[in-house]
Amino acid sequence: MNQNKTIEVKEVTKQFKDGTKALDNCSVLFECEKVTVIIGPSGSGKSTLLRTLNLLEIPSSGDILFEGISILNVKSDLRIHRELTGMVFQNFNLFPHLTVIDNINLAQMSVKNKTRIEATDTSQSLLSQVGLLHKQNNYPNQLSGGEKQRIAIVRALALNPKVMLFDEPTSALDPEMIKEVLNVMKSLAKSGMTMIVVTHEMDFARKFADQVIVMDKGQVIEQGYPETIFNHPSHPRTIQFLDSVLNK
Amino acid sequence: MTLLLAVISVILGTLLGLIPAFMRLSSKKVLKFIGSSYVEIIRGTPLLVQVLLIYSLIKMKVILFAGVDLSSFIPGMLALLINSSAYVSEVIRGGIISVDKGQKEAGLSLGLTEKTVMRKIILPQAIKNIVPALGNEFVTMIKETSIFMYLGIAELMYSALMIRSETYSVKETYIVVAVMYFLLTYPTSKWMSSIERRLKVSESK
Repeated sequence: MNQNKTIEVKEVTKQFKDGTKALDNCSVLFECEKVTVIIGPSGSGKSTLLRTLNLLEIPSSGDILFEGISILNVKSDLRIHRELTGMVFQNFNLFPHLTVIDNINLAQMSVKNKTRIEATDTSQSLLSQVGLLHKQNNYPNQLSGGEKQRIAIVRALALNPKVMLFDEPTSALDPEMIKEVLNVMKSLAKSGMTMIVVTHEMDFARKFADQVIVMDKGQVIEQGYPETIFNHPSHPRTIQFLDSVLNK
Repeated sequence: MTLLLAVISVILGTLLGLIPAFMRLSSKKVLKFIGSSYVEIIRGTPLLVQVLLIYSLIKMKVILFAGVDLSSFIPGMLALLINSSAYVSEVIRGGIISVDKGQKEAGLSLGLTEKTVMRKIILPQAIKNIVPALGNEFVTMIKETSIFMYLGIAELMYSALMIRSETYSVKETYIVVAVMYFLLTYPTSKWMSSIERRLKVSESK
């Protein structure tokens, strides 16, 4: 496989100050321009794995190769790397003191040195793609959860990232709003964006993932095509987990 | 005089208070230790002791400026400043840590520098929490200037002492003093709550 088209996590361990190991010698390969969905019971290290990918958590040991280049060695490039990896959070984390348009403009102007006019241009065209252009001058607390999350996705996309990381993007949403966020993610997947998604939306995993990764106790216990994982899981923990999620 | 002392000590104290506040928030252990020690020592000793200590440490010659004896005014001011900086730094620190951690993470994940995150994301939100508490500190300062009478600075309490010894009407003098302090603090609190209200409006607009 072409190394320039992958993100490789090599034997990464993340131990927190309190001693808990969120990741335990975890290795996994993500392919670019593909959708990878990470599933697993809570506390299995899914979010930590995702957060190490844009260095919100610095691994205690191990290495992460982004298109063949280690992102851990060069400390000064940390910011550039984060710019290339968009992140969407469970709790949206929009900036409440800024309007929608300013939320999206801020990083473009500060990181990409765009002028306000250029930034607004990008922001507006992205906003109209998710059908929220009319909300551009609203503040985040005037929006529904689904709208907030769509704007959070736009905010990350505005920096033209190579990878989009989603940390349980629909977990804080009401059922009817999950759909609107998933729709945005689906069209993003179709556009060929590299996506790594931690989610409990098994339906999304089944239909849109190119690869499914199952985690347990800080390690990847199984990975493969969604059909294989969902229809013929091999690891007993996977079987047990899918059983509890799918047959509620 | 009382008001002047309070205004100067709160404004300069806020600027000075930024230093220990950021030291305590820093990830560097040494800075954290220095910052915490400063705050804890000053909060743990009475203002009166600090004022007298600094006064005795800085022995200045009597210099009269606009009718004020600078030799007692400057050390007194300095003590009040240091004192208020410690309290204000805690207010600032509290305001900053009350901003959700996700805000910082979101900023960093967008490739912003720590500095930009602080300036454009954390501080604007922290100010809403800081201003009310700062108002509180201002009111406290107005009252605490009364301690300056020990240095012979002609603030309100000192004037009261003079009047009392001239007129021998103890109760009346102190009632008038109390009323005067209240007349200074009450409009200040009112003014502060109007600022608070305006901040709230700007958020939910």
